[in-house]
Amino acid sequence: MRGIRTVLVATAAMACSDGREPLVIYSPHGRGLLTLAERTFEAQHPDVDVRWLDMGSQDVLDRVKSERANPQSDVWFGGPSYLFDQAASESLLVAYRPTWADSIPTRAWGAGDFYFAVYETPAVIAYNSDALTPDQVPDDWDLVLEPRWRDQILIRDPNASGTMRTIFGMVIQRGLRATGDTAAGYEWLRRLDGQTRDYAINPAMLHQKLLRREGVLTLWELPDILTEQRKGNPFDFVLPTSGTPVIEDAIAIVRGAKRPRLARAFVEWVGSIEFQIMVAQQEFRLPARLDVPFDSLPDWAQKVRTEMVAEPMDWGLLSREGAAWMSYWDRNIRGRGGTGAQR
Amino acid sequence: MNRGRGTGWLLALILAWLVVYPIALVVIDSVKDDSGWTTQYLTAFLSDSHEWGALWNSVWLSVASVALAGTIGIPLAFVFERLEFPGRRILGALVALPAVLPPLVGVIAFLFLYGETGFVGRVVGAVMGTSQAPWRLRGWGAILLVHAYSMYVYFYLFTRAGLAKVDSSMIEAAHSLGHSARSTLFKVTLPLLRPQIGAAALLTFMTALGSFSAPYIFGGGFRVMTTQIVTSKLNGDIHASVVETAALAAVAFVGLVLFRRYQGTRSVAAVGKGTPPTARTLVQPLARWSATALGWTFAVVLLLPHATLLLVSLIPVGTWTTELFPTEYTLGNYLALAAEPERLRPLVNSVWMAAIGTLGALALALWAGRLVVQKRVTLRKHIETLTSLPWAVPGTVLAIALATTFSVRAPWVGRWVLVGTLAILPLAYMIRNVPIVAGSVLAGFRQLDPALDEAAASLGASRWRTVLRVTVPLLRPALLAGGALAFATALGDFVTSVVLYTFDTRPISIEILSALRDFDIGIAAAYGVVLMLISAAAMVVGTRR
Repeated sequence: MRGIRTVLVATAAMACSDGREPLVIYSPHGRGLLTLAERTFEAQHPDVDVRWLDMGSQDVLDRVKSERANPQSDVWFGGPSYLFDQAASESLLVAYRPTWADSIPTRAWGAGDFYFAVYETPAVIAYNSDALTPDQVPDDWDLVLEPRWRDQILIRDPNASGTMRTIFGMVIQRGLRATGDTAAGYEWLRRLDGQTRDYAINPAMLHQKLLRREGVLTLWELPDILTEQRKGNPFDFVLPTSGTPVIEDAIAIVRGAKRPRLARAFVEWVGSIEFQIMVAQQEFRLPARLDVPFDSLPDWAQKVRTEMVAEPMDWGLLSREGAAWMSYWDRNIRGRGGTGAQR
Repeated sequence: MNRGRGTGWLLALILAWLVVYPIALVVIDSVKDDSGWTTQYLTAFLSDSHEWGALWNSVWLSVASVALAGTIGIPLAFVFERLEFPGRRILGALVALPAVLPPLVGVIAFLFLYGETGFVGRVVGAVMGTSQAPWRLRGWGAILLVHAYSMYVYFYLFTRAGLAKVDSSMIEAAHSLGHSARSTLFKVTLPLLRPQIGAAALLTFMTALGSFSAPYIFGGGFRVMTTQIVTSKLNGDIHASVVETAALAAVAFVGLVLFRRYQGTRSVAAVGKGTPPTARTLVQPLARWSATALGWTFAVVLLLPHATLLLVSLIPVGTWTTELFPTEYTLGNYLALAAEPERLRPLVNSVWMAAIGTLGALALALWAGRLVVQKRVTLRKHIETLTSLPWAVPGTVLAIALATTFSVRAPWVGRWVLVGTLAILPLAYMIRNVPIVAGSVLAGFRQLDPALDEAAASLGASRWRTVLRVTVPLLRPALLAGGALAFATALGDFVTSVVLYTFDTRPISIEILSALRDFDIGIAAAYGVVLMLISAAAMVVGTRR
């Protein structure tokens, strides 16, 4: 019993705040970027204690929903804009137009000023660079369907991934534009399923499988690949030549936030040119702001800005129809592409 | 008598409030939407062959898991309880460890071990002259393997707790009446163990039914109800996921009722009077050596995933990829844990929350046992069903139900705002663990001789004194076994925590998730190893006689 009492006392002591005002951030951005944001923001506001919780962006939406009656967070930092769109339509966000709003493209504005994009996250074709040389790697979406990649492709479970939903959505939309029907896109996805060695349950498993060469190619997002490269892992990427969907990675203030003034200050800081450059240099996020001086961007960002072809995406259509497409895929395509994953 | 009836109602009410009420609030949603009552979602479910297939898969897979886990767990308990051989004590605790393979990273350990590019796979591949394993860890076979591996522990622990209470004089009597060892086993010992085996079977069935990770990770295209729920939810089809949840809960409820029927509620009062048979020391060298070898082999196989996890926690990022063995080792991951106070904090959180949750569950189970078995109150059947009910819904669903119920302030209907406070996670752990603890404790009560209780009363002991000085000491094996299992489960809980944690209560599993999101497998594994050590310590206490 005494042991339990000691633990309780210790916990109570630790739970006591040090007098600083807490600002709670829900974010999928990971320890590196969030620690950077915490340190820099606290340096400017010594009386604030930035507390971040790192979770998937779908999880942020679920939590904000379930906490509606008693909001625990102040800022939602990061995630594809279609999730913010859902949150806005369920009245979970507070409208706030930051001073930097005019510096981002209008497509990155959320309707009703509920959210604004701070980073642009392109999808890429990624590969294990110990197993493949750059000239072997397919540099466009259609080329991954070539027979030589049969059983060589790893795919993150698309049901649970905003990135994969966006890529699959792009495929369907291309089919729709070409033929006016979803069948063409589904046929493409069926062939991709035939090429797929395995569906990975989470990014960590995807990463392990790619590292261990259970497959050598995957479709994924840019910042993760660059972060892994820095750690010394043999990952590299190519930008698809015909165009790639660029996910607008947004920020918003949660309705019922307990510290709205601080939340606004945080949003201002995240969108500032200074922090945009810092994050581009240290955490591989492509700034959404167009007025960030090109010279101040790191080499990779200059290269991506120059070479990247942004796919024209109908985000509204994806937001409305995406669930139905994924449901069809899950029931009729997954594991039925002939060979590959679930033989 | 009146008093017993009153407290019976009170306990039933508390359990109903904590368990039935939140789930009912969610289930009502399956026949309701913004426009009012409707059966359209239910009809959609019933007319969909995919859904029926998934439901059927859930059922048969759970039954098969029970059979398989029992086949492993029960004989193992006999070996460790009845035979004396070198290493018995330590191995006896070690084989209970699969219960404490930590969440999320445990799967990574399986991948490193049995995956197609895993250690075992590469060894087999090398022997057969191929570069990779000739198998894939996928489909219903893989799910069953993981279930059997993690769930035989219920049978093992409960059977051991029961065997420790079996009266040796009854076995001797059977022998002296001319029964063979075999017939004594089937006619005397196993029937005496019926409460424990029944409780373990129920736990296994419910756990398998609600199991999500194994089917999700290893299932491939194989669908069960829990994965259907998540897929629907991810697709934004909330109504379908609610109906699927209700369907799963209904199956679980039917399963619960059937098990109750089979198990019966007779107490096996003849047990627990005398002393249990002492473990038979094997004197014959051959038998002694083969028992030792068998025990160790079994332990090694069972502990391979744990060893793999330990190995992963000791290697630098990205170094062990295509080699058979790692090439470098480091303590860096553990140093990172110790160096940053905010990385240490979740450990403290998990320990105190799991401790409170377990103590609460133990108190409820003791109360339930006293009312159901000793007082035999009118509501005893309902109380007992209520204690198993938290298993009837998957952890995620229970968590969402709690989040819904306790995010509104309406004291007159029993709802307070607990979401976002320190109280909600210990409460959730308590509710989730009531079935584990109650299963073990009620079975223990059934073996108690009521005469002892009466004797204490007739000697003038007060009610509390009887409980503390007679009942609790006699129930020690059951309390420890149930409590240790509950503590270990709560310590490693992921599915409930992920819905309900806050900054101040973030537990270890959330830190593991966070590390994995950063692809920091080493840190995640180091957390996992620490988690295993604490849980293992609890299990050693739990299996001590």
